[in-house]
Amino acid sequence: MKFYFEEIKERGFEENLNSGILSCQGCGAPIAMRHVLRVLGKNTVFAVPACCWTIIDGNYPMHSLKVPLLHVAFETAAISAVGIKAGLEAKGFKDVNVVAWAGDGGTYDIGIQALSGAAERGDDIIYICYDNEAYMNTGIQRSGSTPYKAWTTTTPYTRPNPRPKKDIIQIMAAHRVPYIATISIAYLNDLIRKVEKAKNLKGKGLRFLLIYSPCPPGWRLPSSELTIKIARLAVQTNFFPLYEIEDGEKYTLNFIPDKKPLKEFIKLQGRFKHLKDEEIEEMEKDVQKNFERILNLHKLTHGNIENIPKGFYK
Amino acid sequence: MCKGVPKGDNNNGKGGIMQNMKVIMGNHALSYGAKLSRVEIISAYPITPQTQVVELLSEMVGSGELKAKFVNVESEHSALAVCISASLTGARAFTATSAQGLALMHELLHYAAGARTPIVMGVINRAMATPWSIWTDQNDSLSQRDTGWMQIYCESNQEVLDSVILGYKISERVMLPQMIVLEAFVLSHTSEPVEIPDQKIVDDFLPPYQNPYALTPSNPRAIGAVTSPDFYMEFRYKIQKAMDNAIEVILEEGKKFQEKFGRYWGLVDSFYAEDAEIVIVCAGAYSSTVKYAVKKAREEGKNIGVLRIRVFRPFPYEKIREYLLGKNVIVLDRNISFGAGGIFYQEIKSALFGKKKTKCAGYILGLGGRDITPSDIDGIVSDFLKRKKFDDIIFWGLKK
Amino acid sequence: MEEKIKFDKLEDYPEIPISTATTKHNKTGSWRNLKPVIKDKAAPCSKACPTNTLIPNYFNFFIDGNIKQAGKILTLHNPFPSITGRVCPAFCQTACNRRKFDERISIREIERVVGDLYLPYKIEQRPQTEIDKRVAIVGAGPAGLSCAFYLRKFGYKVIIFEKEEKAGGILRYGIPEYRLPKKILDKEIEILEEMGINFEYKKELGKDIDLYTLKKEFDAVFIGIGAHVEKKMMIEGEENFISGSEFLKDVSLGKREPPGKKVAVIGGGNVAMDVIRTLLRMGANPVLLYRRTENEMPALKEEIEKAKEDGIEFRFLILPVKARKENDKIVLTNIKMKLGEPDKSGRRRPIPIEGSEEEEVFDAVITAIGEESDRSCVPKEILGEDGWVYADKRTGATKIEGVFAGGDFVQGPSTVVEAFSWGRKSAEAIDRYLKGEEIVKVEVPEKTVSFMQIQMEYFERKNALRPKEIPPYERIKSLEIEENPGFTKEQSLEEALRCFSCGVCNFCGICYSYCPDAAILWKENKPEIDYDYCKGCGICAKECPRGIITMEKEE
Repeated sequence: MKFYFEEIKERGFEENLNSGILSCQGCGAPIAMRHVLRVLGKNTVFAVPACCWTIIDGNYPMHSLKVPLLHVAFETAAISAVGIKAGLEAKGFKDVNVVAWAGDGGTYDIGIQALSGAAERGDDIIYICYDNEAYMNTGIQRSGSTPYKAWTTTTPYTRPNPRPKKDIIQIMAAHRVPYIATISIAYLNDLIRKVEKAKNLKGKGLRFLLIYSPCPPGWRLPSSELTIKIARLAVQTNFFPLYEIEDGEKYTLNFIPDKKPLKEFIKLQGRFKHLKDEEIEEMEKDVQKNFERILNLHKLTHGNIENIPKGFYK
Repeated sequence: MCKGVPKGDNNNGKGGIMQNMKVIMGNHALSYGAKLSRVEIISAYPITPQTQVVELLSEMVGSGELKAKFVNVESEHSALAVCISASLTGARAFTATSAQGLALMHELLHYAAGARTPIVMGVINRAMATPWSIWTDQNDSLSQRDTGWMQIYCESNQEVLDSVILGYKISERVMLPQMIVLEAFVLSHTSEPVEIPDQKIVDDFLPPYQNPYALTPSNPRAIGAVTSPDFYMEFRYKIQKAMDNAIEVILEEGKKFQEKFGRYWGLVDSFYAEDAEIVIVCAGAYSSTVKYAVKKAREEGKNIGVLRIRVFRPFPYEKIREYLLGKNVIVLDRNISFGAGGIFYQEIKSALFGKKKTKCAGYILGLGGRDITPSDIDGIVSDFLKRKKFDDIIFWGLKK
Repeated sequence: MEEKIKFDKLEDYPEIPISTATTKHNKTGSWRNLKPVIKDKAAPCSKACPTNTLIPNYFNFFIDGNIKQAGKILTLHNPFPSITGRVCPAFCQTACNRRKFDERISIREIERVVGDLYLPYKIEQRPQTEIDKRVAIVGAGPAGLSCAFYLRKFGYKVIIFEKEEKAGGILRYGIPEYRLPKKILDKEIEILEEMGINFEYKKELGKDIDLYTLKKEFDAVFIGIGAHVEKKMMIEGEENFISGSEFLKDVSLGKREPPGKKVAVIGGGNVAMDVIRTLLRMGANPVLLYRRTENEMPALKEEIEKAKEDGIEFRFLILPVKARKENDKIVLTNIKMKLGEPDKSGRRRPIPIEGSEEEEVFDAVITAIGEESDRSCVPKEILGEDGWVYADKRTGATKIEGVFAGGDFVQGPSTVVEAFSWGRKSAEAIDRYLKGEEIVKVEVPEKTVSFMQIQMEYFERKNALRPKEIPPYERIKSLEIEENPGFTKEQSLEEALRCFSCGVCNFCGICYSYCPDAAILWKENKPEIDYDYCKGCGICAKECPRGIITMEKEE
């Protein structure tokens, strides 16, 4: 076997991130960050609102990334990135990649106003949400991204999350931004390709990337080693399909897996341990319905599903 | 053109070349000030009575008269967020707001000061809801006095325009943000003749902004990380030191401004307050009314003067004591800190405490835009002279 | 930028809360409870191989295009891969983990190609320095040649004494041309000669040379004379039968006329298969007579299948009990058998059915019921209590000091690869012996990677390539047709890419790619764990496709 993830090899092994970060063992977020940085390179500035990465990047006076990072107020990820971009352009730096790097809380909930504004205005930033499906940094509280019936500290087993996960992708599609993509940290060639695409759409408007980022303590995984496995199962069970949307209307489904039963994904996570089989079956139906919807939208865009990789994907 | 720092800070902005005069409203004075300061980023969210500020600026940007990036943000909170982050990349940023908008920005006011961003923001004093009011009082800006922003209270549209230019010069030297405060409608929508200074002279006075810590790709550092008790306090100390330093810088730059433009703007504005026995302390546009009443009173033989506070933050302790110790002091507040009383009154009182016997009283008036007339001022002076005892909180002009 | 993390004075601080150092000062390695260790393990194919060939290791070099390194690794354990690549039963393939995923790898075919491609470079194994010690090897069969190769590689002076006129033993005189073309063997012998090994032909142990003399004149001796004494059936008329191994030897020397048209072959082992398939190619109509059924035949399944494909007639549960010559023919009296309880070999015992004798006429009868070693040429001391040659399985050391033995001579008829293994182990033991070290070297075996430890997610299903064999009706036309043409180089590469590389790092970089702390460095195309920062999350160990990384307790 050659180097497995060819896209990583092609872009080189230089890390734009220093070790010594304060993430929990097995955290999915820095895995995403490493490879995003690999694509974007040093000509990048990050705006990071209150989220796990506020801590991960290191306490004062330390800083992990080898690019500049501005810690910004919780609601302001998108608009702070806009400000950075505007400021840099005013100062003559034309091609800098400006990234808003936020968690799900700062994207789906408190940050959605700023995100919507930036998307609607067509601001030239890359917005990356690393989604661990709750307010993890403050201790695992429920967010708009928390899946149906999941346990969190504010939706305990006695009253698990009563609402389905907000479909932020449809919201962003409605803004008709030039590019939206869902990403799982298990599929790194796919991640790199999509970040590259987002990078190359500089000047066209807001590019939105949703990176599924498992959290071992927050999802109550039995061990920290399961992060990638869970990120992969999410895709293989169609719970988190991998797809892209261009200009809000052109859908491309990236991968049709050999579907695994949702139970495999659910039963591995303590935050779902209270679910009964009937409830999982109901969830399975919703998952399939959503997948079919995306599949149909792909057909609408491309005419057929022939060119979608099936069974095996990187 | 006056030369040198006028004695008693009473230039009150008189003088200057006085060519290129325009009759403009206070809001547009802010716009011209921003334009002449060559701001690079303008963020705009509308709120009555601020809208004209950004409307004129958008036209200036649109026509190319002003090379700046104009961001039509979706809330005031975002408006200030843009300014902060743009400022941290080294760009000169401007925005303006009022009342609810300023309150919405509150979190970020702290943020801007902590990040030491030299943003200049126009604040049009408007009464806070509930209930809705679009008329003026000073609660909105004063309730932000703890955030680390400098605050300049303007009496005239000329002062507004000049203060923006001065504002950037001072802010960029001390690395603190600044509010240029003017009253809703009374100043914001009132047209006055204003000299629009020559751009070349402004450029001479105000060089382009350079942020030594600018977050550009060649400076791969983080700003604002979680800071433990071991480190945090010194940064707060540095903010206070900057405020201390600002007193000197304001005086220095005021002098330089006068040399270039012929008008002097200092920490306070004295109207016969040096030798008066009774001094009325006030701030903002209604100070003109106070001066008018006091002028009349002086003609009638009263030894009375006005000390208009121009710079509220940093609080000019020395100037206050210089003018007020040992005198009879009436402090007017177009604001109230509920449960404690007029804000200027509290701070003036604390400045005078324990130094020399000074009789000092505070009157709260004009809230929500209730008109302040010369007869109000006369009435207050009479009341002051009549009273033996002074309550901590005295309202004036209420319906009984 | 000079890093600053200690702020003692106010002037140490920058004016604004901007960072002054990187997180490298924060050694998160202290968070660990468990520590990942990257260490190659044993692949099941290597474990199953009698020579423990490092199969995934040489595959990886082959895939990289490095034939020299591939050959070097391959011949560390297997001296003549071109040979085993043609005749080995391939225990490796049976153990291959890939069989549980889709289909096993065609390991033998790849070994053959790599072995052949390496031949031009093999001379580099010639020793760099000479050791002034002499070792005598008796028998130029697989065991002896293997032992000679390794001893010579180490630098010793090696002389091989061979009874026949040419070297090879069973490789030349037993295995037919259609399975192992002699030109391959000749090439290997040539390389041995170029390495500096001396061959003395027509020197038979017990006649031209004897063990004690050898022991005196040499610093060590290895005996690998094989097992060529045909077992006797102990029936009347046996003298009319032809010995299977004799027959094959004649064929290897050039005989092409079959001993008759209708020929009976008695036996069920590999020699019987070689004999009967050779007869067919010579134009005879051979018939196999075996006293048990196909299930019990000791021959390799592959050989039995091929013989069936060739169209050879098998007759099961039949045993000749008497023979007599009549004119030029041989009349066999055969009795029918039935299967009873298992005997000590575990196979069901054949029991004659009373009164079922039948006579049948054959032009010739060849027996191939098993071979034994010739113990008459060696002193009795070398024998064990059971009367068979005794040698330590780990070292080949016999009870006589300085004398080693291995291969079929010790363990009875077995496989070429096992003889190669004996040869190498003995060579290594002789090396230790001559250096004055302990002959026995205790090695803790590596854990073997089972299929459960393979991460299937990283592999795409793909059917195995199998060599396109020449169809039976074609191949039986001549003895000279090598019936398995093997793979091309491209086919081997394609098939080798299917290898999971169980337990052997092939630098896929998955551990590096997934580390959340960038604590696995990618240095010179290899992973290296930076224990200063590794938090012990275990993702690398979990995701490693081939089970190389294990989590161990932190001390």
